[in-house]
Amino acid sequence: MERKSILNLIIIFMFGALIIGLLDLGLFQGAKFRRLSDSNCIRLISQSGSRGNILDRNGEIIVDNKISYDVMILPQDLNDIDQVLTLISRILNVEVKELKTAFKQNFISSSVPVTVATNIERKNAILLGEHKIEQPSIIVAPKPLRHYPYGALASQVIGYVNEIDRWRLTKLEDYGYKTKDIVGFGGVEEKYDYYLRQEEGGLSVEVNHRGKVMRVLGFAPPRNGKDVMLTLDLKIQKIVEENLTGRKGSIILMDPSSGEILALASYPNFNPAVFVDKRTKLIGGLFNDPDSPLINRAIGSSYPPASVFKVVLASAGLELKKINTSTSFVCQGSIMVGARKFSCWDVHGQENIFQALAHSCDVFFYKTGLLLGAQNIHDYALKLGLGRNVGFELAGETSGFIPSPLWRKINKFQNWFDGDTANLSIGQGECLVTPLQVTNMFAVFANRGYLLSPYIVKAVGGLDLSGKKKRLSAVCFKKSTFEVIAQGLAKVVSDAQGTGNVLSTLPIKVAGKTGTSQVSHGATHAWFVGFFPLDKPRYVICVFLENGGPGHAASVIAKQIIEAMHNQGLI
Amino acid sequence: MRNSFFKILILALIIASLGILSIYSSTYQKEGTPWQDIYKRQMLWLIIGLACFFFMSRFNYRKLWDANYFIYGVALFFLLLVFSLGVIRLGAQRWLRIAWFNFQPAEFAKLAIIIFLARYFSRKAIDDTSLLSGKFGIFQGIILPFIFVALPMFLIIQQPDLGSGLMLMLVFVGLLYLTNVRLKYIFMLLAALILPLPFFWHFLHDYQKQRLLVFLNPNIDPLGAGYTVIQSRIAIGSGGFFGRGWLHGSQSQLYFLPESHTDFIFATFSEQWGFLGSILLILMYYLIIRQGFIIAQRTADSFGRLLAYGISLLLTLQVFINLAMNMGLAPVVGLPLPLMSYGGSSVLVTFIALGILVNIDRTRNVF
Repeated sequence: MERKSILNLIIIFMFGALIIGLLDLGLFQGAKFRRLSDSNCIRLISQSGSRGNILDRNGEIIVDNKISYDVMILPQDLNDIDQVLTLISRILNVEVKELKTAFKQNFISSSVPVTVATNIERKNAILLGEHKIEQPSIIVAPKPLRHYPYGALASQVIGYVNEIDRWRLTKLEDYGYKTKDIVGFGGVEEKYDYYLRQEEGGLSVEVNHRGKVMRVLGFAPPRNGKDVMLTLDLKIQKIVEENLTGRKGSIILMDPSSGEILALASYPNFNPAVFVDKRTKLIGGLFNDPDSPLINRAIGSSYPPASVFKVVLASAGLELKKINTSTSFVCQGSIMVGARKFSCWDVHGQENIFQALAHSCDVFFYKTGLLLGAQNIHDYALKLGLGRNVGFELAGETSGFIPSPLWRKINKFQNWFDGDTANLSIGQGECLVTPLQVTNMFAVFANRGYLLSPYIVKAVGGLDLSGKKKRLSAVCFKKSTFEVIAQGLAKVVSDAQGTGNVLSTLPIKVAGKTGTSQVSHGATHAWFVGFFPLDKPRYVICVFLENGGPGHAASVIAKQIIEAMHNQGLI
Repeated sequence: MRNSFFKILILALIIASLGILSIYSSTYQKEGTPWQDIYKRQMLWLIIGLACFFFMSRFNYRKLWDANYFIYGVALFFLLLVFSLGVIRLGAQRWLRIAWFNFQPAEFAKLAIIIFLARYFSRKAIDDTSLLSGKFGIFQGIILPFIFVALPMFLIIQQPDLGSGLMLMLVFVGLLYLTNVRLKYIFMLLAALILPLPFFWHFLHDYQKQRLLVFLNPNIDPLGAGYTVIQSRIAIGSGGFFGRGWLHGSQSQLYFLPESHTDFIFATFSEQWGFLGSILLILMYYLIIRQGFIIAQRTADSFGRLLAYGISLLLTLQVFINLAMNMGLAPVVGLPLPLMSYGGSSVLVTFIALGILVNIDRTRNVF
């Protein structure tokens, strides 16, 4: 072949290679390169709104957001870095060197503002803002942070906020949650996170190779989270917490006509602000504390109800006509059930139902219980809302437990003895209840016949939910039953020998029941559950002190709370 | 006869206009009047280039035979001048500042050497009509012309401009192949050039080594030396079949692609006009080059034929290496795309070369 023909072939081959290369890049790999090209030039700049506030029933703020200011520098507008950093250091009174290292560490690209100082004071933020004209690269960015003006107040009800964990993320990814999102943990913050959480907005911009913004492609305004209004009354809550401080336990105040929780405290509590400030040591301490401050004792743990349980016996006895108002038993300090001796805490002599409730006579209720039988006691306890969840909104509720012969047979392969019935009659043994269940049970006697569903969130984003939340279910007892028990509970306070006599000095008439639960080790648990004012009950109160001693201790706290409420004109 | 003149003129005009469109699209968003006026400067160069084209197409190319030593000498002189007076831009001393424009002597040197070689190999003995080159031994056939090529090549590589330097060598080898020099000698030359390459590695500048390494794998240095190739491939690839449309290429208009109006103008073009536009552009280049080879083949005069071959080879190699480098198929060497890339020297030299081509074809008929 001639040399020139070979050259021609070579040239055709060269152009063929070019076309193959073009085919490969443009057609076969085109989609990939298109994607790379887009990611090259489109950036998102996010702007966040603030999380919804948590309010009390009157609209008073319990939790809100404080504006914290971060100082940032936008490198693309920077003329002289040293000059800018010197200015910032003079105003904030920090070393230039510190700012410089922060700038170097946080630098991403010239279009992304670099944070050099966080959480600066408002005064300094304004001062820096005034230099904006001469130094356009300085950005003072407000950043909303959770703020707790009352510290640990109602901490278990509110919960805390923190960075989302892996478990929650896998469950919530489909609802638009992302890594590093701040979400609620526990309490209202978690339960209503979807409403409280702010919607992130932002700019989508086209940038050039230096990251300099060329034009804005789109803008979505950030949206603030919705406010959640609780049924809590801030004033009552404060009184309650003051009186509980230093003791382990829980106090609940509820409106017996609707089921609104007016105050709910659990102690020990915690300050949710430590999660905002990221004080790692304190956070670790919270999780490892043997007293578990994160647990809401009002719903999250259950205890033997002790004498508080006697109202179940009384109502069952009256309803099933095993006893009536003229029935009386003689208390000689103890009673033999089978071969075992069951003692009373005192010798009461002849007692009718009113006296038995007032003096909390064990013998009377042993005998009533034996007349009723364990199954009836179990059934009536369930009718009054014990042994199952009250259906409270907040997570972490336990159902408590009411034993029955059948349960014993099936689960423990043991028989039920009369001794067990006697034990159950005074709310001991395997029987467990939560303070909220007991509160709910007493509300039935306060409102004369309606079992409520307690709730704590009144409105979300201005939308009143109380109509939907208020659910009453009638407890079909005779009217006289309620009256008799209410009278008996009134006598607990008014009777000179009544276990709750300490409350009789109050200007308001209170009815209630004390309880002293025996525990396997440590001091007894103290209960006082009651309602007031007697003639037209507007509050059910439950004071529970874990290892707090005799029921009297709880009565004293209840008295102090009611006294304080009266003094502040809340009743 | 008019046939090749119009074919080449029209193709060159279309390509040059597309070049101006691409230059405009890649610079119109840059700040500052020098950037925004750059396409106007290119238009001016195009007009001057056309004037040169018309002039050269009328100027009898045989006169170049007589002037070849002078042309060679001037080219060498300018290359030496660059060393002492050259303007340093982008880390290289390649330009001479003359009045209001920068002049790149290496572009002219390419053409000068082609003229020189064409004459050298088409000399005839006084008493014989056959070419001397058929009887050349190894000294006259290879070594002597090699020295003439190596001199300017050395100066160009020292600028440093490895691309243009290698281009000279490739054109030299190509021309050798098309003369009567024996194949054995050509292979000896190739062997002598290729075998010491590992040794020359040490003489390369760091950036030149880097470019060769990056060519083998652009991802070893995605932000440095490999950046351009990666961005250029993204630009070409993201064009897809129909392209993103004029002024809608994000790679080139947002300056992710460096040198988007000079060496990487093909990527700029391809991003906006897509596979379809690129194929048509390559086809147009091929047609121009084909015209060159056809002219060479039908020219009886051996000087004219070798000159036409040389010019066509130069164009072919420049186009091929530039496009291959845009697609990441060849290492990044600073070579402009003839007719399209911004740059007065390149535009002028290309139009002069095309003018000579047309003149060769015209003169052929006169004989």
